[in-house]
Amino acid sequence: MKFTLHIWRQENAKAKGHFETYEIDNIRPDCSFLEMLDILNERLINDRIAHPVCFDNDCREGICGMCGLYINGRPHGNDDGITTCQLHMRKFKDGDDIWIEPWRAKPFPVIRDLVVDRSAFDKIIQAGGYISTTTGGVPDANTIPIPKHKADMAMDAASCIGCGACVAACKNASAMLFVGAKVSHLALLPQGQIEAADRVKKMVAKMDELGFGSCTNTYACEAECPKLIKRQNISRLNRQWIGALFGRDRKE
Amino acid sequence: MNIPKIHSISKKILVGALGAFLSFFLLFHASANLLILRHDDGEWYNAFCHFMGTYSIIKVFEIGLLAALLLHAILAIWLAVINKMARPVSYKKPTRSKTHTGSKLQVWTGILIFACLILHFTDFYFVKSGWVKGKYMTKAEKVVALNATQPDAANYAEQHGKYSAKGNWLTNFDKEDKAFLEAAGLEVEPDFYHQAREKFKILHIVISYLVFFTVVWFHLRHGFAAVFQTFGLYNYKYSRAIEILGQIYTWGVCLMFTIVVIGVYFGL
Repeated sequence: MKFTLHIWRQENAKAKGHFETYEIDNIRPDCSFLEMLDILNERLINDRIAHPVCFDNDCREGICGMCGLYINGRPHGNDDGITTCQLHMRKFKDGDDIWIEPWRAKPFPVIRDLVVDRSAFDKIIQAGGYISTTTGGVPDANTIPIPKHKADMAMDAASCIGCGACVAACKNASAMLFVGAKVSHLALLPQGQIEAADRVKKMVAKMDELGFGSCTNTYACEAECPKLIKRQNISRLNRQWIGALFGRDRKE
Repeated sequence: MNIPKIHSISKKILVGALGAFLSFFLLFHASANLLILRHDDGEWYNAFCHFMGTYSIIKVFEIGLLAALLLHAILAIWLAVINKMARPVSYKKPTRSKTHTGSKLQVWTGILIFACLILHFTDFYFVKSGWVKGKYMTKAEKVVALNATQPDAANYAEQHGKYSAKGNWLTNFDKEDKAFLEAAGLEVEPDFYHQAREKFKILHIVISYLVFFTVVWFHLRHGFAAVFQTFGLYNYKYSRAIEILGQIYTWGVCLMFTIVVIGVYFGL
């Protein structure tokens, strides 16, 4: 397969970026998107054309949340419930133009080319996305009975890999789905309910401070989340916030 | 002095709460407008308008309503500006994510509705104060009472006006008549029934109304479910019910308004 790639190139955080166009051919349909970029980089290096294109990646199994590219108007490309590393070239047509951009959000500044600094998410977690009790030894899994449906909802929320696709997809660059998922997986379980009010207040305050936008219920985040995390987690975050305004640790 | 910071979710909750309040008023307004369809020469509709225009508690409610509308608009625009700032560099390729169209249009439909409401208020308040041409009426019993002290003014009212609503009101006065009758000490108020019926016979006004309520439909369609989401009431159990209720409410309110306009135009 043959493609025309339009890739965002930016020397560093302060430099002015631009799109560079590269032609690439002999790409197999079963090749993953990141492998295709590897092939491009090999050619750029071997033919001494330019510096290789920088992009984030790690596990390449859809688990770590490191990869994140905005491809032809969609975070993680043209498929549902996948990360960029799970995208394959068979999803494109031969001869396609592919526009590759970094996540665009004020709290996610570009470090170089397609790599963005997502430490804003870490800062939100540091603000309150944890349980501060000293647990001692690991308790038996069934010591505290938890209803199955709640355990399932908590597990669904906990599957967030923090890739930032929700922010990248949202027209407001809002992190509400991320914060909603992080608040939910703790608020749904008994151990997390004790600090629920304090947690939600701190995390939302940090989210606002970092410059994320607010949710206007477009649900692009839900559509693009590689782990298919639902908008109901945003609703739960709002519910938790209202509870916190009245100083209550709300039980879900 | 430290001004307490209003967090993004609190702003959203406030926008949603004000929106919900305005939506309920819209349902009330739509229900009242159905009275225009009654062929009673404005007896019920004008009685309703008279009550709304004179009852003191309603006056307080009116101020609250206008304040809610302004605050709803200001907060929504404030949020939109902050949201715009959250992405200083836009994407080259426009989004292809599956999203709710209503949300993307919400600010724009809101601005359009706000602009149209200003025109509507101009109609309502300016006609009331006599700054804009309109139809006016006065209570027939007051004219009879006036006959004892100022027979000329009473005669003027009877000659220029015509009895309506089972003879309870003398209507069909214009701006000049209003000034004259008020100088004679009569209470004159707008005849919204005949004014509306006259306006809804004009094609371009009917079309403008239909366009306006299409915009309102988009705004309400998104807003209804969004309020539940913002209040944290949108959960796995009730999400479908909220969507259906939203459809019923949105279609219901918009149809109630438009049916009056279309009905009057076609002679109903």
